[in-house]
Amino acid sequence: MIQPDNSSAIITIKKLHKCYWVGSMPFPALNGVNLSIDKGEFAVLAGRSGSGKSTLLNVIGALESVDKGEVIVNGANILGMNHTERTLFRLHNIGFVFQSFNLIRVLSARENIAYVCQLQGMEKKESEAIADHWLNEVDIGHLGYRRPDQLSGGQQQRVAVARALASNPKIVLADEPTANLDTLTGQKLMCLLQQLNDKFGTTFLISSHDPDVKNAASRLIKLADGQVVRKWEKIPPAPPPISKACPIKNLPIAQRIRQFLRKKRKRSSQRDNKGSTPRRS
Amino acid sequence: MSDARRLTPTTYLSLAVRNLLRNPRRTGITLATMIFGIATLTLLSALNDGWLEQMRDNFILSFTGHVQIHTSGFESSQNLNDHIKDPSEIILLVQDSPEIQGWTQRIRTSGLVSLGGSSTGVQIMATDPEQETWVTHMHRGLKQGRWLNPGSSHDLLLGITVAQNIGAEIGDRIVLMAQRPDGEMVSEIFFLRGILETGAPQIDRTLALIPLNAAQDWLEMGESVTDIVIRANSHDDTARLQQRFNQAFASDGYEILAWQNLDPMVRQWLEFSDAYGLIIILVVVALVLTEILNTMLIALHERQKELGIMIAIGTRKSQIFFMLLLEAVMLILLGGALGYGAGGLLVLHLSETGIDLSYFANAFKFFYMDPVILPLLTLDSATRILGTTLVAALLAGLYPAWRATKTDISQSLRTF
Repeated sequence: MIQPDNSSAIITIKKLHKCYWVGSMPFPALNGVNLSIDKGEFAVLAGRSGSGKSTLLNVIGALESVDKGEVIVNGANILGMNHTERTLFRLHNIGFVFQSFNLIRVLSARENIAYVCQLQGMEKKESEAIADHWLNEVDIGHLGYRRPDQLSGGQQQRVAVARALASNPKIVLADEPTANLDTLTGQKLMCLLQQLNDKFGTTFLISSHDPDVKNAASRLIKLADGQVVRKWEKIPPAPPPISKACPIKNLPIAQRIRQFLRKKRKRSSQRDNKGSTPRRS
Repeated sequence: MSDARRLTPTTYLSLAVRNLLRNPRRTGITLATMIFGIATLTLLSALNDGWLEQMRDNFILSFTGHVQIHTSGFESSQNLNDHIKDPSEIILLVQDSPEIQGWTQRIRTSGLVSLGGSSTGVQIMATDPEQETWVTHMHRGLKQGRWLNPGSSHDLLLGITVAQNIGAEIGDRIVLMAQRPDGEMVSEIFFLRGILETGAPQIDRTLALIPLNAAQDWLEMGESVTDIVIRANSHDDTARLQQRFNQAFASDGYEILAWQNLDPMVRQWLEFSDAYGLIIILVVVALVLTEILNTMLIALHERQKELGIMIAIGTRKSQIFFMLLLEAVMLILLGGALGYGAGGLLVLHLSETGIDLSYFANAFKFFYMDPVILPLLTLDSATRILGTTLVAALLAGLYPAWRATKTDISQSLRTF
């Protein structure tokens, strides 16, 4: 599945289109994104809410499908994979850090980290040793036996970072990792992520509104209306018309049938209304 | 890309136990419902088995025995011409059978009983007074008087309703009238020595019981009899005995009938009760399973996000499926064991004290049922309850587990 790749890019995205449908209402999320991220980069995706940051991260993380385009991550075309292949791809290549920490509630901090290693096929003892190592790396080695609800937000996010790195991924994707943290804790977390990036050379791609996160970036990628804004562009490019961004052929078949029936009902009720209007003599 | 190995059983178990304990109140309520449901199921099943066993016992021991041997066609014709001329050969084989607890010979015919100006139609039954006590419990139904005396050739016992209908009292001279095998009508005087209340109304309103030797003399039948009635050691031996006697005597012009063949209505009633019991069991099982399904689906809904995360970080669908299924199985095993234990203890207690339903005694009599029911938990029922509960509960666990594998990761991460 993974092809040998001598280039320095670990993520290559070409002409990526993604549209969400709420009922028959289209919401274009990505409008032809082209992007390349190099190995070991500490890149930050910035942009307003709805600009497509989370969708782009989800697509790169093989969590979501797209309408059109090409996504090569660590030499693998992830859009051509089936569900199981994607799961295994995520397990061995991607580490996730979520906005709301998203730890497994019934497992302790140590078990949360060891769980990923066990999924990779490691023995329990080996997994626990790795968990202890990463807990120490993120400075909460003494909190390993606490459950998520016994940890502060910052501590939980450190566990999440340790979990993301414990599987020895090529890329860590972090979606608004500081959004639920106070400023100081957020700054500390960013320092930690930078240190880990320096020490292990893992590629980080982070989406955020937070100025501290943007300042920490080795590369800032701006997104607007589902498109990457190039450095020299002062005004974001105008988004393509909705009919082009979300062609009706991409509407799920069930929604298409529903839309057809709705239109038909509307037309017939309009005809009925016309017929029942009293004429003036 | 290497394939991920399986999670260890301890990881699965630990996750299942902790997930069940994450909402102790809900798990507790579900367990309580299951315990109640399975305990009720066990009790209902034991009650059903108990009264079916009583019905079978009472029917067999009140009159018919387990197996009867007649000359072919006697059961339908009830004609004295269809009698067994030489019963000794049959009796030799019967005596040698290890599955037999007792046997007796009888003559059965219809006749008339008269006292003064009152008379009524009866089923005259002549039996060996001693042998009869090994086969049926008729002698235990004596309401007044005494049992037949083997030496007295003019003793008569009447069913309580017959006695009431003709106004007979102990010691009365009563005339019995019947037809001999040669067709001649004959009558004889007997003395009422006892009044029987067997508990079966259809017997109590038709029975006139006399000693076998008296009937053989009176009806000029020599050593002949119409029935050889056999009581087996257990109900399970019935089919084997019937088959053996069929092989030995069917070709000689005898019919061998098991108790089920002697009264099809009782057989149908037993089958109906069996089916009715099964329906009750299915209803209780359906209720318990709905509860499990409901709990699992609510838990699934609450954990939608967590399942999404687990899949996102690399848990395979098959692993998610097994995790959820294990939770359901653990819940079922625990609830099943506790419910079955509670039900078993209840049955054990009630099998000693009995459930007194005397209020419905009259209705029960008709179906050979005692007013006090003793629940009986047979191995067969126990296996059926446990098997059905486990299999059905496993099915109830499959759906939520399957639903969990359909978790839309991006949707579940976005929604919460």
